Amino acid sequence: MRSLITLELLRALRNRKFLFFSVIYPSLLFLIIAGSADGAVVVDGSGLSVPTYMMVSMASFGALTAVLMGNSERIAKERESGWVRQLRLTPLPGRGYVLAKTASAAVVGLPSIVIVFVVAAAVKGVRLEAWQWLALTGAIWAGSLVFAALGVAIGYLAAGDAVRPVTMIVYFGLSLLGGLWMPTTTFPEWLRRIAAWLPTHAYAALGQAIEQSHAPHMKDLAILAVSFALFAGGAAWLYRKDTLKA
Amino acid sequence: MVAFDQVSKGYGSVRAVDGLSLALHPGETVALLGPNGAGKSTTLDLLLGLKNADSGTVRLFGAAPREALVAGRVGAMLQSGGLMDGVTVAELVRLAHDLHPRPYPVADVLARAGLTGIAGRKVDKLSGGQAQRVRFALATVGDSDLIVLDEPTTGMDVTARQAFWATMREQAGQGRTVLFATHYLEEADAAADRVLVLHRGRLLADGTAAEIKARAGVRRISFDLDGPADEDALRSLPCLTSADISGRTVRLQSADADATVHALYGLGLCPRNLEVAGLGLEQAFVALTAAEEARTS
Repeated sequence: MRSLITLELLRALRNRKFLFFSVIYPSLLFLIIAGSADGAVVVDGSGLSVPTYMMVSMASFGALTAVLMGNSERIAKERESGWVRQLRLTPLPGRGYVLAKTASAAVVGLPSIVIVFVVAAAVKGVRLEAWQWLALTGAIWAGSLVFAALGVAIGYLAAGDAVRPVTMIVYFGLSLLGGLWMPTTTFPEWLRRIAAWLPTHAYAALGQAIEQSHAPHMKDLAILAVSFALFAGGAAWLYRKDTLKA
Repeated sequence: MVAFDQVSKGYGSVRAVDGLSLALHPGETVALLGPNGAGKSTTLDLLLGLKNADSGTVRLFGAAPREALVAGRVGAMLQSGGLMDGVTVAELVRLAHDLHPRPYPVADVLARAGLTGIAGRKVDKLSGGQAQRVRFALATVGDSDLIVLDEPTTGMDVTARQAFWATMREQAGQGRTVLFATHYLEEADAAADRVLVLHRGRLLADGTAAEIKARAGVRRISFDLDGPADEDALRSLPCLTSADISGRTVRLQSADADATVHALYGLGLCPRNLEVAGLGLEQAFVALTAAEEARTS
């Protein structure tokens, strides 16, 4: 199990495209979005400056990219190539494959979070208490598990050519509508109502609550918990279905 | 150690495996032979617990297949088994080594599979034959009691194929049971102690290659005559299944060569260069499956 995680990680680190999109890209996007913003401008209703607000959005986006992309496409491809079958002939328990994938994706997700923080602090002068930095890292990292489960579910749901478009639609849809690229306060009223129920919105809100030194909203925690239960349950169900078929 | 008891598995209306019962014993090298669609792959999938039987039971070493796999008692190489891409041959073998409860040293496994020279190569950059050798390395990475191989030499050239079977004989020599499915009848003939012929999900024949050939029943008798042949007399010999007489050269096929040859001498003929030979396994196999087709249709 540990050797599979190591190997998955090694492979992820060799994949430059994957590393760029999950580790570097969120920081670049942060600089583009927050770059021109004045540090004194406050995002409506949050009391946070644009860079502070967007830092959490982009760190969440980075972690989301690493775990969602890392899981869904890889799993779909390896189901098709027969690697999943080959692994089932080893003593590795069936869940081990999914856990190893998620663990290695999470390890890639961590630097993506930290790099956004470093860039935000160094370039845009974002300042927070020590406990806030730590809590943010922990909350965003732990919250990415929700999307890791979603990635696994998509990996077992979609096959072949379908997996990329499905992943992309879910990925961009959740990121954009959840307000990871721009505050949902800039959305029209009707869209904002929808966005408030998306797991990505709740995910970023978790981090923003820490920045505001608030306790997180129960509604956001509940959305994340229900999403996780749905995605993980769906993934487990699809995994079992696939195992019986393969 | 491997036991199928009345195992059936269907897909829709097709019964891929139909009431199959068989047992394998320690130290045997067994070939699973059958035309496409005979149920070979499904049989191996059931054996390895990749599929569940609709009815009947499959036991490996007295337990469910999955338990035997977890205990590292089975090494398997499937045609449909893919490889992890983006890693090197050595890294992949190392992974299999780490997963097996009783692994051999990685260097030995690589050497035995003929992979030492390409250990540093990325798995996705391998030729078909090389990838096949990597699968073989994964199947033999540890001290397993049973090795299951599905069409193991597909994509290998003649030299690689010979080297492969030499390695396999060595494995069998260490007391392992080897079960392989193949299309190459000469491989079954040369490498297996026991041949299982599968046809439409049923076990059609089970025995040594020689027994299978004998079960197909037919032997070839050929000879030359000194003088002109008496065709009618020759054609009335007992137990003939076919006769080909051209000038003084006679080629017969007989279901009971002993009786035919005895009667041949009884005709007072003096056959020269008499040869009695069994059919090749290939011909025996065709005869067996054709007879079964005829019987069931």
